[in-house]
Amino acid sequence: MSQEIANALLQSWSNFATAFVLFVPRLVAAVIIFVLGLVVALLVRRAIQWLLVWLDADRLARRTGASEMLRKADMPTVEALVAKIVFWIVWIGFIVSAVDTLQFEPFRGLVAEFFRFVPRFLVALLVLAIGFLVSNFLWRATLLASVNAGLPGARLMSGALRILVIAIGVAMALEQLGLGTAVVLAAFAITFGALMLGLAIAFGLGGRDAAKTLIEQQLRARKERDADAAPHL
Amino acid sequence: MENESTLSDALLRQLMAVGQVDILVGLPTLNNASTVVDIVRAVHESFTRDFPRLRTVLINSDGGSTDGTPDLIRDASFVAADMVQTSHSLRTLHRVVAPYHGLPGKHTALRTVFAAGELIQAKVVVVIDPSGPATTADRVTELIGPIARSDVEFLAPRYRRHPRDGVLITQLVRPVVRAVYSVGLDEPLGAEFSCSGRFATHCLEQDIWSHEAARFAIDLWLRTEALAKEFTVGQIWRPATTAAGARTSLREVVRQVVLSLVESLRTHESFWVKANGISGLRTWGTDPMVMPDAATWDYQTMAEHARHDIGEIAPLLEEVLEPEVIARLDQGLGVNARLDDELWVQIVYAIAAATRLGRTNTDHLVDMFAPLYMWRAAAFMSHTASESPADVQARLDSLCETFLRLRPALVARWSVEV
Repeated sequence: MSQEIANALLQSWSNFATAFVLFVPRLVAAVIIFVLGLVVALLVRRAIQWLLVWLDADRLARRTGASEMLRKADMPTVEALVAKIVFWIVWIGFIVSAVDTLQFEPFRGLVAEFFRFVPRFLVALLVLAIGFLVSNFLWRATLLASVNAGLPGARLMSGALRILVIAIGVAMALEQLGLGTAVVLAAFAITFGALMLGLAIAFGLGGRDAAKTLIEQQLRARKERDADAAPHL
Repeated sequence: MENESTLSDALLRQLMAVGQVDILVGLPTLNNASTVVDIVRAVHESFTRDFPRLRTVLINSDGGSTDGTPDLIRDASFVAADMVQTSHSLRTLHRVVAPYHGLPGKHTALRTVFAAGELIQAKVVVVIDPSGPATTADRVTELIGPIARSDVEFLAPRYRRHPRDGVLITQLVRPVVRAVYSVGLDEPLGAEFSCSGRFATHCLEQDIWSHEAARFAIDLWLRTEALAKEFTVGQIWRPATTAAGARTSLREVVRQVVLSLVESLRTHESFWVKANGISGLRTWGTDPMVMPDAATWDYQTMAEHARHDIGEIAPLLEEVLEPEVIARLDQGLGVNARLDDELWVQIVYAIAAATRLGRTNTDHLVDMFAPLYMWRAAAFMSHTASESPADVQARLDSLCETFLRLRPALVARWSVEV
């Protein structure tokens, strides 16, 4: 009996020792990958920042209005932001690889999953960036066109359009990432539909007379605002 | 060759029948039935009386009139029924009536006239404005004479105006063109002019005809092109006029003029960034001395609209104008319209430089400018309401000097590498 217990303990110890001997090199490798990843990511971050400065990416950002938007959102400059994003992508890649090296059953296939996710993440970022640019352009264009046409609530209208376009961009980006696709799409469709329906009902039925008066006032006001150019030439 | 794509087959046939000419008078029209018959008679009287030995042609380039303008020109008799013709041309008096092809607008009509001039090797090209002041034979001759008999290659009209008239000209276009191109040009926008065949051919060779600058304010571009390419430019006194026939709203006109001005600055930057000082232009004709009354318009209402609009677009202005300029602009947005010369010049130069830097879309910048111009126009009218014409004229001269004094700031900002 005592011999059997001793054998079991020995077997258990032997298994543990074997597993430990097998695990330690993987742990060391994972730590090395983790640290190396940090170093590589820092180097890549610095190289990307230098490259973007050299390419004068800030000028493009200023021209497109992205710089101004980042400043308003208390974000770093475009070079720093892009470098930071690349840093995290690279380092997370190494972290995932390190975890994969440990061969934990629950994390098996993590690397493949990560590399499938990265392109989607980049596309989502691109979609978001384009969304911001388009929203900014439309905001300016709508604000100026409304002001010069003498429409009331020019700022409100252009601001609402800007938020709408950003919301579309965010919804598309989230869809690209596959995060809560159904919820995001449903929420967006319901909100947008409700908004439009509300406006249609308010303007078309409830406020038909008010709408008529408003349009007439606008046409009249516009006529008054459209000063004759002759005395100015 | 430029002519082949610009001139229709029918027009080419007519021009070949005309052959070489010395003087070409172009008449771009669009629904000008009320004036064209008198213009045709005036032009032919000028040809017959003052240039009987020269080969001449009158070309009407019509933009699709629906009031029978081309037919009236084609059928107009050379002389009025009550007029006795005392002299006869030794040459055939040619008259060509043709619709122009391409984008609608005066620039296409002018391009057709210039292309025709190049084809028939006209030495003098005159363009008459059918909606301008009444054209007489003397006035046509005055436009032809200096080009035909001296070395001047572009002759711009000069009008005796009331100094409170033509605010867009006096507050923006004239001082900018004077300061930037370093020349004392009075009317950068006048519709009628005359030029040499060489200048017309030069213009045809430029890549401008499809640009917005040409589409919107070709008159401004022609003048600045003549100045920048160092053609000899002169001025000629024309009858007193009050602007008529403006078919678009003020905001649209401001937009068109500013776009054209900006395009001219871009096109000619290699010329004007090096230019300095200001040189006078030789002026032909006699100063009519008679000053028309100032045009009256509701500048108080305009000020109210402008104040509201400037407030609405404040976030956009903050991206273009210096904080100090914004602060001073805000201070001036009180009940009484106020915008002093120096601040106005700083705003104009800042917007112009911003179009060069490209950080903001040019169309947006131009749209931002309309309320600012309206505020300045209202401020000017308000301040000068009780002043004598001489005092107002002194203000205009002072404004031109301020534009000239602050010009280095524009050059510095324009020259920043982008």
